[in-house]
Amino acid sequence: MFSSKKPTMNSHERPPMCVQGDSGLVLTTDPKPRLRWTVELHDRFVDAVAQLGGPDKATPKTIMRVMGVKGLTLYHLKSHLQKFRLGKQPHKEFNDHSKDALDMQRNAASSSGIMSRTAMNNDRNVQITEALRMQKEVQRRLHEQLEVQKHLQMRIEAQGKYMQSILEKAYQSLAGEGAMIATGSYKDLQNQATMNQLGAMAFPSLQDLHLFNNDQLEISPQLDRPLEDFFPSNEIALCLGKKRPNPYSYSNGKSPLIWSDELKLQEFGSHEENLKNNIDHEHLQIAPSIINGGMEMESMADVYEAKPVLSVDSNGEKYEGSSKVGRPSSAPRRATVSTPERMSPMIRGGGLGQTRNLSYA
Amino acid sequence: MNEMMERDIFGFSSTNSIPINADLGWRDWSPGINWDDFTGADDFHGQIDSMMTAAVDLHDWYTCVSPTSTNCPGSPAEDLIPSSDDTAVRLVHLLKAAAESLSGDLKTPALTEAILARLRELLLARTTSTGMERLATHFTNALHSLLDAAGDVEEPLQQPCEFLRAFLLMQDMSPCIKFGHFTANQAILESVAGERRVHIVDFDIAEGVQWASLMQALVSINNGSPPPHLKITAVARYRRSVQETGGRLADFAASVGLPFSFGQCRTDYDGQFRPAGIKVVRGEALVFNCILQPGSAGGSLSFISGAAALGARVVTIVDEESEGVGFEGRFMEEMMRYSAIWDALDAGFEKQGREREMVERVFLGPRIAAAVERAYKGMEAWENLEKRLEAAEFGRMGLSFFNICQARLLLCLFSEGYRLEEGTNKLVLCWKSCRLISASVWSAPPLLSPEESYLSS
Repeated sequence: MFSSKKPTMNSHERPPMCVQGDSGLVLTTDPKPRLRWTVELHDRFVDAVAQLGGPDKATPKTIMRVMGVKGLTLYHLKSHLQKFRLGKQPHKEFNDHSKDALDMQRNAASSSGIMSRTAMNNDRNVQITEALRMQKEVQRRLHEQLEVQKHLQMRIEAQGKYMQSILEKAYQSLAGEGAMIATGSYKDLQNQATMNQLGAMAFPSLQDLHLFNNDQLEISPQLDRPLEDFFPSNEIALCLGKKRPNPYSYSNGKSPLIWSDELKLQEFGSHEENLKNNIDHEHLQIAPSIINGGMEMESMADVYEAKPVLSVDSNGEKYEGSSKVGRPSSAPRRATVSTPERMSPMIRGGGLGQTRNLSYA
Repeated sequence: MNEMMERDIFGFSSTNSIPINADLGWRDWSPGINWDDFTGADDFHGQIDSMMTAAVDLHDWYTCVSPTSTNCPGSPAEDLIPSSDDTAVRLVHLLKAAAESLSGDLKTPALTEAILARLRELLLARTTSTGMERLATHFTNALHSLLDAAGDVEEPLQQPCEFLRAFLLMQDMSPCIKFGHFTANQAILESVAGERRVHIVDFDIAEGVQWASLMQALVSINNGSPPPHLKITAVARYRRSVQETGGRLADFAASVGLPFSFGQCRTDYDGQFRPAGIKVVRGEALVFNCILQPGSAGGSLSFISGAAALGARVVTIVDEESEGVGFEGRFMEEMMRYSAIWDALDAGFEKQGREREMVERVFLGPRIAAAVERAYKGMEAWENLEKRLEAAEFGRMGLSFFNICQARLLLCLFSEGYRLEEGTNKLVLCWKSCRLISASVWSAPPLLSPEESYLSS
């Protein structure tokens, strides 16, 4: 029953062919020697971290100094500390519990040589029951966490849909007005180069909608079923932007954002190094691809066009933004920030004589 | 990888002459990114932190302000082409000095002007602009606006949907916005569970983005029983944009199958909220929601009073914490905050690029200007909101496991530097050690007799 759960801090699952080095560190005999976090070593680690004021204040460098263990590198500490910190998240209790359960089992096993048979059996039964109870608790918590995850996904998706709808409506109303503005219409998202052509005046709003739909149809075949299992928000869609190969996606055929699965694995405490690296990778790059070097705004357009096709809301009904075309919009709306951009004359070099253009390189 | 780690053991990177905050731990986390590739100090939040404690002595000051002074150690030419580190230090010192000159009882605008002029010189002399310099530009401009309060009503040339796009981008790049919305929403959901009618009074509805996810949750959580009727009343000076937002929310509600109605409550001529303007129906759960931003209109205190007067079931507040005293203190606090935001954005995304530029120009820049203005005016709403709530005997409502878990999971989607601080009834989103935004949940004090029910402010 404990076979599927591993102690939190094991950094690998290889069969333990270990040698004990001079420094007292236990290393495996793989071609690439890996450090094995024994209980003793981990305890020293925890002490060091506590001395330094907790996992948030401690850094690999300081921990290394405090621990004073030869052969321990920053690299080891870095990954171990990260897991430790993550372990302090809600599922810390789970990991602690499972760790406790395993400790108990270990204790039970180790004391077998000393105690008499019957006494040992009784104790073991009690301990196993206790461990079982804790496992149940762990599972209950995990289940709750998965619920939270599920709901969070839906909420982010809903928010994204809404944002997209207001963006669409804003562009539609622009188009409907035959805007005299240099940006032109929604179509301009797709091609900055034609920005000056004032597409808005040439295309009636209905035609814009057609373009919109066409692009939808273009994109949808590329996204197959599995996508709905994943995180169908801006982030995913961005990663799959059709016009640009995303360097961060599909490292091994998986979507870049199966964070639900990975979080599950975190909870169970089994942490392949690779997996952890994937998580790091994704955490850093999470909504990233909009900012690939030199990436055009068009990809963003694809994203926002793609979304209505992808997203199916929780009721199973497709959300369709109602197309109220032609509602004239007032001056550029800036809903939350009421202060006009008074700085802009300075940055753009208008007005005040003493300023010049400040440019972003 | 190991070599890089080794280098870190033995010294700071060679491009840095400034003693950076010892918290180098985070540099080690990012796989594959060689921090030394980036010019200058990356963690300028920490940099500013350490610089703030350094004394700005008079000698430095004169050096900064007047390059032609004989006290200047370097030639003017040297001054104008400093290394990026020196620039960063100078910029911070100058900004600090400028703020100082505008705070306290003896304000010296002339001195501020001089400092701002020098700042502009430094900023324009650079051919490339680092994040630090762009940040300093925004703050410089913000200070300039303070002095220039009378003039400058020129509307900027902004592409019409630009703000929306920038807002959307910002949401993707930073968890701040979602954090506030989701935490408040979850608290609301929990407190109105099982109700047939829910009435939310929203202080600053903006685009109404917050309510989309609440609507979705209302519909899906009730699995089985029909969702409650949701009414949202937006409190605002009359603006057509609010009506538009209402329309959009109505559309969205229709699409998810939620019974919905929308209303607007106009504030007084002086921006104050009058609870009498809210129509309360018997049997509905009343919720007051207050998302405060730097550019928010005043009147939040009257809003809170109104919540007490009407006996709201739950009051959710999202705000930027501020502990600074005096303009200079608050100004430097804002510098810390926004440098942390800059750092946070850098950690996940490219530092340059069109999208980043747009977000900075369209969204963050105005926000910084508004924040500085708010710091300057010492707007009543900003100071000690929490203390006021306490004084008025609002109850603190603890956050559920679900809520905290949700916030943590949300942060997992973004860079690792984001932390969560838990309080009795609030969560604070931080970037490393800098507090960015806090979400707190309160319950209105028990209803008193009509004469006593209005708070004295």
